[in-house]
Amino acid sequence: MLRIGYIQSGHIRYGLYPTAVSSASGVPALTTAGFQVLLALASGHSHGYAVMGFVDQLTDGQIRLGPGTLYRTLARLVADDLVSESETNDPNAPHDARRRYYRLTPLGERAVREEAELMARLVDAAHTAGVLDGNRRTS
Amino acid sequence: MTRQRPLGLGTHIFVPDADAAVAFYSEAFGAAELIRHRLPDGRVLFVELAVGPDKLLLSEEIAELNALAPAALGGSPVMLLLELEDVDGAFAHAVEMGATVEMPVAEMFWGERYGIVRDPFGHHWALCTRREELAPDEVADRVPPGPTDGQWTSR
Repeated sequence: MLRIGYIQSGHIRYGLYPTAVSSASGVPALTTAGFQVLLALASGHSHGYAVMGFVDQLTDGQIRLGPGTLYRTLARLVADDLVSESETNDPNAPHDARRRYYRLTPLGERAVREEAELMARLVDAAHTAGVLDGNRRTS
Repeated sequence: MTRQRPLGLGTHIFVPDADAAVAFYSEAFGAAELIRHRLPDGRVLFVELAVGPDKLLLSEEIAELNALAPAALGGSPVMLLLELEDVDGAFAHAVEMGATVEMPVAEMFWGERYGIVRDPFGHHWALCTRREELAPDEVADRVPPGPTDGQWTSR
């Protein structure tokens, strides 16, 4: 279970972020872009272009992962062992994050689930607090 | 001109040898290389490192741009702050890897266990582990009279 703490840590970091960051017992904290990429991979999108398109479509273009952000985010997720990477079968494809294939590792599956559970609780609280009602879109 | 709220703040350091620096920061401080760009002559223009949730940019010295590493400037007045789960382990490991002790790890009045090393390239790193969540007033009550011989004395 993800533990959340309000951190006031000397001069370094003020704010709300996951405290479960131990490599033995927890998963690394996710950035917003990192969560979106994991969510795209969990939704069955496996190459960079599809990840970018998924996020763009999901957020009505409010969030655009450009190629630079996509590359950095994927490289970070791979370094954290949340995502694994494989080359495309197409020998003519450019050596580029948008063309490579990615999938969640077991740790990545856990990270995206725990983050989503936490967000679901926050969204529930937002409903309870009435903050969503005034902004709810009429369809 | 209007005063702007910045979108971000990053750290960009200069080192004599990027390969050596990336190897050290990876092993000692858990950094992961994300991106690297070179000049046509082979010098490393910059390496982007992920360090925990944050980013560190690193370049090789480019004398033509007056972009110099600490040794060429006689030292560095800047400290990089690195928060870890186990400051003692990280501190000992950094020293094993070639860092120099500047202030041994000790309990600090602001609620951290904290120590300072100088890395092999001349940059100062404060390593810390959070121990207590203190309100600003509580820290104010604990401030000791002053540091002596490079150390904080406890009250």
